[in-house]
Amino acid sequence: MGSGHWSTDVYTAAADFRAATGRSAFAYSDSGARTAHPDLDPDGVFMREARDSEEHPFSTPIAVLFDVTGSMGNVPRVLQTKLPQLLGLLTRKGYAVDPQIMFGAIGDATCDRAPLQIGQFESDNRMDEGLAKIVLEGGGGGQKHESYELALYFMARHTILDSLINRGRKGYLFIIGDEMPYPRVKPREVRAVIGDELREPIPTEDILAELKRKFDVYYILPTAAHHSGDKEVLSRWRKLLGQNVLELDDLDAVCETIALTVGLGEDAIDLEEGIADLTDVGSAAGGTVGRALSPLQRTPVVRSSFEIAGGGAGGNQRL
Amino acid sequence: MSRHVAVVDLGYGDAGKGTVVDFLCATEEKRAVLRFNGGAQAAHNVITEDGRHHTFSQFGSGTLRGVPTHLTRFMVVDPLSLAGEAAALGNPFHLLTVDGEALLATPWHRAANQRRERAVRHGSCGMGVGETMAYASEHPDAPKVADVLSPARLRRRLAAVREALDVPGPPLDDVMEAFVAFGEAVRIVGPSWTSRLLAEGPCVFEGAQGVLLDEWRGWHPHTTWSTTTFDNALSLCPDLLRLGVTRTYTTRHGAGPFVTEAPLDLPEAHNGRDPWQGDFRVGHFDAVAHRYAVEVAGGVDALAITHLDVPDRSLSLRICTAYEVDGESWDRIEPGPPRDLGHQERLGERLRRARPAGMYRPGDWCEAIATHLGAPVLVESHGPGAADKKSR
Repeated sequence: MGSGHWSTDVYTAAADFRAATGRSAFAYSDSGARTAHPDLDPDGVFMREARDSEEHPFSTPIAVLFDVTGSMGNVPRVLQTKLPQLLGLLTRKGYAVDPQIMFGAIGDATCDRAPLQIGQFESDNRMDEGLAKIVLEGGGGGQKHESYELALYFMARHTILDSLINRGRKGYLFIIGDEMPYPRVKPREVRAVIGDELREPIPTEDILAELKRKFDVYYILPTAAHHSGDKEVLSRWRKLLGQNVLELDDLDAVCETIALTVGLGEDAIDLEEGIADLTDVGSAAGGTVGRALSPLQRTPVVRSSFEIAGGGAGGNQRL
Repeated sequence: MSRHVAVVDLGYGDAGKGTVVDFLCATEEKRAVLRFNGGAQAAHNVITEDGRHHTFSQFGSGTLRGVPTHLTRFMVVDPLSLAGEAAALGNPFHLLTVDGEALLATPWHRAANQRRERAVRHGSCGMGVGETMAYASEHPDAPKVADVLSPARLRRRLAAVREALDVPGPPLDDVMEAFVAFGEAVRIVGPSWTSRLLAEGPCVFEGAQGVLLDEWRGWHPHTTWSTTTFDNALSLCPDLLRLGVTRTYTTRHGAGPFVTEAPLDLPEAHNGRDPWQGDFRVGHFDAVAHRYAVEVAGGVDALAITHLDVPDRSLSLRICTAYEVDGESWDRIEPGPPRDLGHQERLGERLRRARPAGMYRPGDWCEAIATHLGAPVLVESHGPGAADKKSR
């Protein structure tokens, strides 16, 4: 027994927790690691699996890959602290049955030591452990390009989804970043990072077409990131993904944005209901999420908005 | 010992649960330490081989060995105190999970506890754990850990606590901020987490306080508002080794009956006078009370005996096998009916009149205590550090 060994001051506690979240969430990276953690290294991985199980018979695969290069600034750190809440958000309102979440990180294969990091699909808090092992590069090519195409290649060829096999349901893939993919998947990089032998390069459009048979692919551009609102970046992704390019003006709302996108995709809710749900669970992110997701809203007026390739939030229809 | 084990103190607390849990974690791979009663008032001292010392409060005592802690739904979680403890440990939040159903202790619960303690000296720690339990028993919407993930609900529930207790304390907004930050730092998990840990490897259930302080079985009202027996642990995991911890002498913090109390001159490095609990009291080994503890705890499978180095330093130390009360001999405290606080209070009054009788000094303290309590000794401890322990 005994007591009073630790300060119970409310202000110290708040500051301590805040200081701790930054550090502990990045335990692996902050310990000085500069190469992918063995658990996240894609080299030699045959398949990352999202399997149905007795406990989770109707798995819904959801992959979240984010750019960890320098241009993203503090964004990866914020993401790493926010994303653990995703599972709770998805399950609390029943947006997805048996969600299985995978996290990964994208760097630049032309210059980074950990150009691709890919965790497992997990249906519980083990996903946090994967998240904590991600190395933050902080480098990047400085060319407005990162190796997104390498990540697309891995997701297309090295994932297996029971939802697709058993029920014909695709998974969800979210890419969070602020730059463009390189135009082709390069055999040399695939060999070095993943270990596959490709005979010739694959155009990014082609690998994406292959990937879209497995996943609904979304690109989220946080406006806090460096190239936010960059017209070239936005229009490149819009050419690749159409309306599935979302601009997010407040990073704190990233989990809500992903959760509602899945809810919309699963036809569990419409946007209005989703935003009402957010208010219901005490989230203040409704406005931000509404703006980000307006391209996905299924009304004729808004659906046409994705044709507007203008930069910045102005390209979105406000609610 | 590749099965789950629950570590429970058979006395009034302070027997050395922390050091025993640390030892179990150091000698064999453990999946997790699960806390299953009490809250931030626990203070379990651990000293490792390399001299590192930590007083564990909410983190499990296996933390210095890298063993994860899970705070089960039976815990009263105190985010404010947790922040300080975590910082002292180097913020090992990756080793911590908290059940969303666990109750939250707030600064207002603490203030109400301290107000009550000033009015009636009871021997509580002043941390608000009992106050939190009391509030929850009357208010179904008492704040729980999972609420920190829903700011609107958290605010509603915190405001209700503040309103109901009507005590001074920090502004609601500031508590909100700290609790939300707590939610971002810790991993909050659902009810299936415990069974998953149990399936993944041997776990240690770390009890707090002691059986003689149990809310239903202790000497009412000098008890803690917590089930200190194996009951909670058994409800989470029916198959476990029940390990009872006891010192070679008996100690007690705070007020309350203590039949074998004696001026033995045994100062304590980590247990001194405490502003809320008062003096740290020591006495001869009370075999009568400990036998009662084993009985109300439903039996123990094995014992961990600590402070085996003390009898050599304190030559007047004895074991008390019987009391004398009102001219009669009394060598067995018969357990009363379950949940009868009136009976427990009368028991306490009778114990206040009791005096030690039948004192003796054994040759082999381990064997003597094992015989009195009817269980084999699994761990013996001859000092505060991990190197002072051995398995038998």
